[in-house]
Amino acid sequence: MGDSREAKRVQNLLALQDEALRLNPNLTRRDVLKIAGYGSLAAFIAACGGGATNTPTGITATGGTMSLGSYNTDPGSKAGTQAIVDAFTSANGGTKVKLNTVDHGTFQNTISQYLQGTPEDAFTWFSGHRMRFFAAKGLATPIDDVWSAVKSNYTSGFEASIKGNDGKAYAIPTDYYPWAVFYRKDVWAAKGYNVPKNWDDLKALCAKMKSDGLIPIAFADKDGWPAQGTFDILNLRLNGYDFHVNLLTGQNGQKWTDPKVTAVFKKWSEITQYYSPAFAGLTWEKGADQLLRKQAGMYLLGLFVSDEFKASGSQADVDQLDFFAFPHVGSSFDAEEALDAPIDVYMLTAKSPTLQNDLGQAKAFLEFVSKGSTQVTYWKNAPGSIPTANDADTSQYPALTKKAVQIVSGAKKITQYFDRDSRPDFAGPNGMQGFLLKFLSNPSQDTTNLQKDMQNFWDSLPPE
Amino acid sequence: MILQAFLIAMVVLWLFPLFWAVYASLRPYGDTVVHGYLSWPANGLSFINYQNVWTQGEIPYYYLNTLVIVVPGVILTLLLASMVAFCCTQFSWRFNLIVLMLFTAGNLLPPQVIIVPLYWIYLHTPIPMLGSIDIGTKFSFAIFSDNNLLYDQYIGIILIHVVFQTGFATFVLSNYMKTITKEITESALVDGANVLRIWWSVVLPLCRPALAAMATLLFTFMYNDFFWALILLSHGDKRPITTALNNLQGEFLINNNLIAAGALLACLPPIIVYILLQKHFVAGLTLGSTKG
Repeated sequence: MGDSREAKRVQNLLALQDEALRLNPNLTRRDVLKIAGYGSLAAFIAACGGGATNTPTGITATGGTMSLGSYNTDPGSKAGTQAIVDAFTSANGGTKVKLNTVDHGTFQNTISQYLQGTPEDAFTWFSGHRMRFFAAKGLATPIDDVWSAVKSNYTSGFEASIKGNDGKAYAIPTDYYPWAVFYRKDVWAAKGYNVPKNWDDLKALCAKMKSDGLIPIAFADKDGWPAQGTFDILNLRLNGYDFHVNLLTGQNGQKWTDPKVTAVFKKWSEITQYYSPAFAGLTWEKGADQLLRKQAGMYLLGLFVSDEFKASGSQADVDQLDFFAFPHVGSSFDAEEALDAPIDVYMLTAKSPTLQNDLGQAKAFLEFVSKGSTQVTYWKNAPGSIPTANDADTSQYPALTKKAVQIVSGAKKITQYFDRDSRPDFAGPNGMQGFLLKFLSNPSQDTTNLQKDMQNFWDSLPPE
Repeated sequence: MILQAFLIAMVVLWLFPLFWAVYASLRPYGDTVVHGYLSWPANGLSFINYQNVWTQGEIPYYYLNTLVIVVPGVILTLLLASMVAFCCTQFSWRFNLIVLMLFTAGNLLPPQVIIVPLYWIYLHTPIPMLGSIDIGTKFSFAIFSDNNLLYDQYIGIILIHVVFQTGFATFVLSNYMKTITKEITESALVDGANVLRIWWSVVLPLCRPALAAMATLLFTFMYNDFFWALILLSHGDKRPITTALNNLQGEFLINNNLIAAGALLACLPPIIVYILLQKHFVAGLTLGSTKG
């Protein structure tokens, strides 16, 4: 088996040389020799590796240069990005990577002009609607060749998440994190609470916590997006994955005025009385602080809640953090075990001035980040993001990460979070963020008019 | 007595946010996570946030970015604005009032409204690549572009500042130049000086107080800019310090104590400039408020 793999590798390398030659007809004879030299060097290195990794080599080029636009500005993820870039340079025949780091918020807000301007060859982005949107606009380069080389390293859920509307592959998923209900083990043990299995358990637990003087559910919605996590999970549990996706994208004539949406708000209103007081003025960090300070009992949020625990500087608190999947609500869709698990990806731009030159290197980079070993390197720097590759070494994961992997792999359906699954203008502050805050200001209201407003707002948006 | 009490109350009201920022910046983030912002520091105050901003946030490097944008910006604006003001006040010609009005009216245009066309202009304006000036290992000032475009270049930011500030500077300088009697320029003319010579050797030296006041004001205006650099630069490491403060935010976690420290450090240069050039600053407020 090892031999046939070697043979395939060499074939691939030959193919990549053809590709490089075809892409750049101005190569001199010396350049051709150089590429051939790099190619055989890569083959030599691969041969020395003895087939330790099971990702095959693909349609790539070594040496040269490429550029990468990154939104990783947290100290950990910034260091992680630098680490994988350095590892890539040494693994890919010294390819020089020009790294442009822009803070996460600005990168997202200016993505449209970034991609239409002079972007880097490759860039960090999200899967879901946000990826398909820019792919459909022709601002991303399809990478079917890279994907077919690496897809054996991914589960089918990940494959679905990186396909554009045209069925082509546009991204390499590198990490994800799940949304779940977080709690402190010590608080729960002291009070004798048990993980609720269904909706009634959850409500009973909330009532008990309230009588114990706790805020049952920490909730913080100053920035508008955290409330969408609760909407997502309730809609998924009550109405199922297909309805949720159709609703968020307006496909198959799905409307916000549907009685099924009313049912979501009705269900939601049963637990809002247990939320943090004055939640509309709290950032998610403040909600996490309530959990950390043992003031709140539960918190529905992403795994990044552990960042705030780590920032407190107390490992004892971090060790107490645990979570469970949102309880069943007694619908036929409980079996889907669906949850939000946003996936971060690497993509290729379309309008990069250097892409034509660097395409082979950029594809080599995408292939490199699809490897479990690369993703683990990144994860060691940024532990909030879990590697996606099948061959990632999970032996070093702490208990919390292992559990996160477990609940995501147990999910039959995975969504990307409201603002990644729907169009950005609809999900934003003028749209659903505002509507959900309006609902939460008076949860017992008749939501018919509110749902009409949502649908009217959707209808008023220009075609994408 | 009531006046004093009122004034003290107002001072407290105005200084409170600043005090709060200083207080937050001196507390380690972990301390506020555990105890909340409304608490006394359990483990004492520290300069750890300033240290982190200085080293991880690379504040000194972003100061340099601001410097290469603001200094040429101020000099170019003053040169151009004084030329326009000179022509419109020292010479009588058919359109001098209209030109002056044009420049002043441009001042009223909110910059945001032209951002979309400006973005496309910047993307389609070719600028030559003539090498670069490198300072240290990280900083590189391209002459005049490193991608053949105006977009994503220091020069582009400098130019848009010059364009937007020239209107106001022209307005102020022309009012000041009206106080220079025509006899001075006329006698220079008689002595054989050409127009450029009169502008450079006669009028500009007389305008020194106005130029100093304008330079102080323009420095703070350009220093404070957040918007242009955000829209017209795509490289995070080309940003001036104000926009670079955004780099201190992560994907999810926002360490407000760290940002407070960064914001206070970013405040320092204008405050220093203000203290050093206070005299001119006050002069600038009343400059041109009376005619002749």
